Amino acid sequence: MDFLGTTSLGLLRAVPVTVLLFLASALGASLVAAVLVAMQQARVTQGLARAWIFVFRGTPLLLQIFMVYYGIAALGPIRHGFLWPAFREPLFCAWLAMTCCCSAYIAEVLRGALGAIPVGQIEAALACGMGRWTRLRLIVAPQVLRLALPAYGNELVMMIKSTSLASSITVLDVTGVAQQVIAHSYRTLDVFCLAAAVYLGMTAALTAVLRRIERSLDPLGSAPR
Amino acid sequence: MTQTSPSVLSARGITKSFGGRAVLRGIDLDAQRGDVVTILGGSGSGKSTFLRCLNLLELPDAGTIEIAGTRAPLAHDRHGKARIANPKALNALRTKTAMVFQNFNLWSHMTVLDNVIAAPVHVHGVPRAQAVDRAHGLLEKVGMAGFAGHWPRQLSGGQQQRVAIARALATDPDLMLFDEPTSALDPERVREVLDLMRALAGEGRTMLIVTHEMAFARDVSSHVVHVRDGVIESMGPPALMFGPDASPVFRAFLSP
Amino acid sequence: MDAELSVPALLGLGADGWGWALMAGAGLTLAVALAAMAIGSMLGAALAAAEASRRVWLVRIAATYGLVMRGVPELLVVLLLYFGAPGMLAGVAGLFGLPAPGSPPAFLTGSLAIGLVSAAYQAEVFRGGMLAVPRGQIEAAMAAGMGPVARLRRVILPQVLHHVLPPLGNIWQFNLKDSALVSITGLAELMRVSLVAAGSTRRPFVFFAAAMVLYLILTSASSALFRMIERRGSRWAGGR
Repeated sequence: MDFLGTTSLGLLRAVPVTVLLFLASALGASLVAAVLVAMQQARVTQGLARAWIFVFRGTPLLLQIFMVYYGIAALGPIRHGFLWPAFREPLFCAWLAMTCCCSAYIAEVLRGALGAIPVGQIEAALACGMGRWTRLRLIVAPQVLRLALPAYGNELVMMIKSTSLASSITVLDVTGVAQQVIAHSYRTLDVFCLAAAVYLGMTAALTAVLRRIERSLDPLGSAPR
Repeated sequence: MTQTSPSVLSARGITKSFGGRAVLRGIDLDAQRGDVVTILGGSGSGKSTFLRCLNLLELPDAGTIEIAGTRAPLAHDRHGKARIANPKALNALRTKTAMVFQNFNLWSHMTVLDNVIAAPVHVHGVPRAQAVDRAHGLLEKVGMAGFAGHWPRQLSGGQQQRVAIARALATDPDLMLFDEPTSALDPERVREVLDLMRALAGEGRTMLIVTHEMAFARDVSSHVVHVRDGVIESMGPPALMFGPDASPVFRAFLSP
Repeated sequence: MDAELSVPALLGLGADGWGWALMAGAGLTLAVALAAMAIGSMLGAALAAAEASRRVWLVRIAATYGLVMRGVPELLVVLLLYFGAPGMLAGVAGLFGLPAPGSPPAFLTGSLAIGLVSAAYQAEVFRGGMLAVPRGQIEAAMAAGMGPVARLRRVILPQVLHHVLPPLGNIWQFNLKDSALVSITGLAELMRVSLVAAGSTRRPFVFFAAAMVLYLILTSASSALFRMIERRGSRWAGGR
């Protein structure tokens, strides 16, 4: 097989690593984000949630990844503690950093959506005697999901792209493999264009899925009022 | 359900201020089963705030409220600030009432049918099939029979308000609160909603209506209440209120 | 290795401290982000104009550019420019019969890479901003006898800026953070300095934490600045 063929195959073989990292971080970040938004509703926990969001949105993800992989992992209690098997793994460290970082961004998206629910619809729920949980389940959560979806989708696309930073701590994802191939072939432009195409494929697929979900939540095919 | 007293509403000494401005300055109001009470007043008179105090969407600073034998669970902390004493009792009070809003406030992510069955199924625990049956009946009653599967934003304002009324009827409330139900409607849509409310009054529903529709107040209500500057300026049956012996202040309000 | 230095000594401005180096790195980070923002603004404005034009091929080029740049990791763009620039330069030079000029400075390739990405996002913002002024207001300005310059200055720009400043502030934040990617080219900006310091002192936690604090200062100070400008520029909008 020619060079481009083998390289494409090598890059495609790395797609599962990228996808795994993306899915695991998306799941983790969304859960943490929900907790952050819940924390922002109570005065006691508000400060902590705010600080978390401030720190993780205000510093580069690359630095956070290094911090977890080199900085935190070098601390005594981690190095000699029961968590060491996890912190030894670059993939775990990349996942942890991405979960923390992206949770801050997603929390902001969710908070925005929460604020965008028309007050009257909450009042209507109150007026017919819905309790806190019924309200959350029936009115608030579905509306937040629908209102947040476009911005949430943007965050997910950003996350796919951010997974490439894991290559900087030796994870062999698509970018990692691309750099490996370049290191012994020196065919920079070809390899990067192939890698770019792989990422474009992934982001396009994600965008298509998101659009599908958006449409299924909005059966009229038009924006909500 | 054996209600010996026909009293549905008893509100005493309701006061409320926003940021130091007194909006309600002591309102007493009673309603018996079957009463249709319209509350009239200029904008800023406090009439909507009063209505929203009754189901505790606003917390009154002072006063007591009793609706169909259930007392509003109001308490006051050391600084006199009002709070809900018991959230469970709060929802119990709210399930005795239903509210129709000026801006309809239909839940935009639910179909018409889901809007109507939400409270019966999820608050009152009515089996879904039974609630759906009843909802279809109510939709027919409000003239929206063919619209069960529609989404709120596919409907005109008048249609949305009629669905909102069906939603309010779905729990068979003891007291219906209408907060300027026709103010957000096009003039030609006002009628369809007023006609529906007229029909409800004819059935003996107990209704409290904040409105600007004078003709409706005169023809349909059993009592007319004029609120001005946060107090009841005058009240009485429409024959009196719209007759020659009405209070001069109310007469001035009617013919500005 | 010597006896462990205390944290203040490590981060201090003394002979063993990395304080100066870290601050210089922060300065270079700011410079990269500024250069990237400027490159992104120019290219972004051009892209927005291209998308608003009536030439189909121009519209298509601009749209494709945006799609690719928003769908490909920033890291890949940085790597491509860093590794690919010498070859591309040599190719161009070869066309004119000149010798290969070698590698361009890391600052240039780095800020160009971030700027190319930034342009795709800025183009979107500008496109939205152009739609922000209702046609009727421009007609009213004409009817009031304003010339094109007065219309632009008195009616169009104030409103466009009001719409464009908040998202541009966002993009600026991303530029600041993306500049850390330029560290792989060896440019001694903040990320690189902290990596070098972490490696040579074997105290990664201390230096990455210090770098985080410096990044937080950069991002929060600049967002405060943006907010101030926004507030001044849009008092008419009835904001805060």
